[in-house]
Amino acid sequence: MAEPYLRVEGLVKRFGPFTALGGVDLAVYPGEVHALLGDNGAGKSTLIKTLAGVHQPTEGQIYIEGKPVQFRSPRDASAAGIGTVYQDLALNQLMSVTRNFFMGRELKKGFGQLDLDKMNQIAHDEMLKIGIDFSDPTQAVGTMSGGQRQTLAIARAIHFGAKVLILDEPTSALGQKQQMGVLKTIKRVRKRGDIAIIFITHNEIHSRLVGDRFSFLALGKVIGAGTSEEISDQEMRRLMSGGAEMGDLEQELAEIG
Amino acid sequence: MADLSEADRLAQETWLQRTIRRPEIGSFIVMIVIIVVLAWASNGKAFNALGLKNNVQIIAQYGIIAIGAALLMIAGEFDLSIGSMIGFAGMSMAIMLKWGLPFGLGEATPLTALLITLAMTLTLGWAIGTIVVRSGLSSFIVTLAFLFFMRGVTEVSFRLINQSTQVSGLPDYKEESWVAWSFGGEVFGWFYDAWYWLGVQFTNMGIDRTDQWFILGGNLNRRGTQWVEGFDARFFWFILIALVAYYILSRTQLGNWIYATGDNRDAARANGVPTNKVKIGLFMFTAFCATIFAACQVFENNTSDAAKGNLMELFAIAIAVVGGTLMTGGFGTVLGVVFGAITVGLVANAVFFIPAIDGAWFRVFLGAILLAAVFANERIRKRITGGI
Repeated sequence: MAEPYLRVEGLVKRFGPFTALGGVDLAVYPGEVHALLGDNGAGKSTLIKTLAGVHQPTEGQIYIEGKPVQFRSPRDASAAGIGTVYQDLALNQLMSVTRNFFMGRELKKGFGQLDLDKMNQIAHDEMLKIGIDFSDPTQAVGTMSGGQRQTLAIARAIHFGAKVLILDEPTSALGQKQQMGVLKTIKRVRKRGDIAIIFITHNEIHSRLVGDRFSFLALGKVIGAGTSEEISDQEMRRLMSGGAEMGDLEQELAEIG
Repeated sequence: MADLSEADRLAQETWLQRTIRRPEIGSFIVMIVIIVVLAWASNGKAFNALGLKNNVQIIAQYGIIAIGAALLMIAGEFDLSIGSMIGFAGMSMAIMLKWGLPFGLGEATPLTALLITLAMTLTLGWAIGTIVVRSGLSSFIVTLAFLFFMRGVTEVSFRLINQSTQVSGLPDYKEESWVAWSFGGEVFGWFYDAWYWLGVQFTNMGIDRTDQWFILGGNLNRRGTQWVEGFDARFFWFILIALVAYYILSRTQLGNWIYATGDNRDAARANGVPTNKVKIGLFMFTAFCATIFAACQVFENNTSDAAKGNLMELFAIAIAVVGGTLMTGGFGTVLGVVFGAITVGLVANAVFFIPAIDGAWFRVFLGAILLAAVFANERIRKRITGGI
């Protein structure tokens, strides 16, 4: 197996007395989808925020291509090739697709003038590469569907140099059909072969459909990990519910009535 | 591909449909209606040589500050201190011209008075912006505080330094000072020269009806001389500010940042847009516009008083909204604001051309059209965001 692009060793993050992450190990490889699963409060958000440079780890080390790195700000992380697509997508509804695509990183022709033609072309081409043929990139993002917005945010992250794409619950707020659209987009990005994807979700079906490798978080720790062959459906369900045996759960439910 | 068909749900539009859906279309139609009605009701007097000059004067006056207010509103903030800033800047320039520069630096020239005033107003704009972005308080309340604060400072300074809340009888600097002339002089004389030339042609052809001669810019009392010689210099400043604002907003990176800041500040920030700097810069821009407004007043009439610019902040905001700027930020165009300024300016002046009407109808009209504009803008916003 090739070297992981991003590796995390013994990552600990404490907020005062509260330990959000209690020693997390993680390795993500280019051309793979690494599904990160866990219940609410398992530490998924803290983990991605630490990887994205929003939080600094209390202990532990992050490696990019084998070299230890420290992110002091989100800018550091994005310079190191970590592109985070948050749930709210960081899009401006009233602005056009192109203006959103290049927000904060506009192409200029001199005197601060925007090179709108080139920007429209790039926005269109980059989105086409991962699956949306958007005929008019000057239309407002507000007119797009949730899945299309997700695609825009992903295409933007890739265009601006993401080598690790962190997708924070990209399917959670979408309808059935659009969820499938996003999964297709993830597959297309995977097919490029040069980008590692961290896919955060609590939907086991979705993770099974696109995941190559799985890590299960519970209470700030990795309670199980492996490739898709190593982890059976039943094992997955057990880990999803925080490590408790299904039998125990059934019994507990039965006791209630 | 499922996503492909979805993208194409947005129907392709013809040029006409696109034009009709432009955000400025509402303010444009209202403007045309006002122009036609006013021309008809005033028997064309509103657009004869002098009428046009007077209308352009008030339109430019409103326009200068409305564009500043609109850009700030697009970035998601209000500035209620514009009117007091006008009073403050006018006071500052007039007092320096009358009593000399501060700290015993000697006589003031129009240039030094303007530059020192500009330094003060830009600093105030910076301070207001910094307070708003640092504290996270609503700009409504912060600038309301500055509305009272600066109007008070203006009056107190007048009384302390000048012993009266009015400076009048300043020398006419326009003659010798290029700076004073560029704010208080007359511009685009060629327009009225051409207009007058047309009048001369009419008389030469033998069509010499007095009213026609008058409409075409001829002086009735002194036949054969030109009557109106140019627009007020503020027309030039209005055009300049409008062009620069249009270019910045629609064609530059800064313009993209202004829209992004007002639309969704967190998203803009996450993408590396320096939203605080954008906002502070725009508070400074409204202060700049207010100073230009005040400079035009001071150098045109060579007077100033403590009440100058009163209520102008509200007109500026009203015009920005009539011009299609969203109260919640993120949306608006300079062209729309220009249409709004023309509309409101014409109606404000209408009483001079149609003496039969009560001047207070202007405020009735403004209130009504403001309400209509807010509803129209909200509809546009809903259309763009898909009804969210």
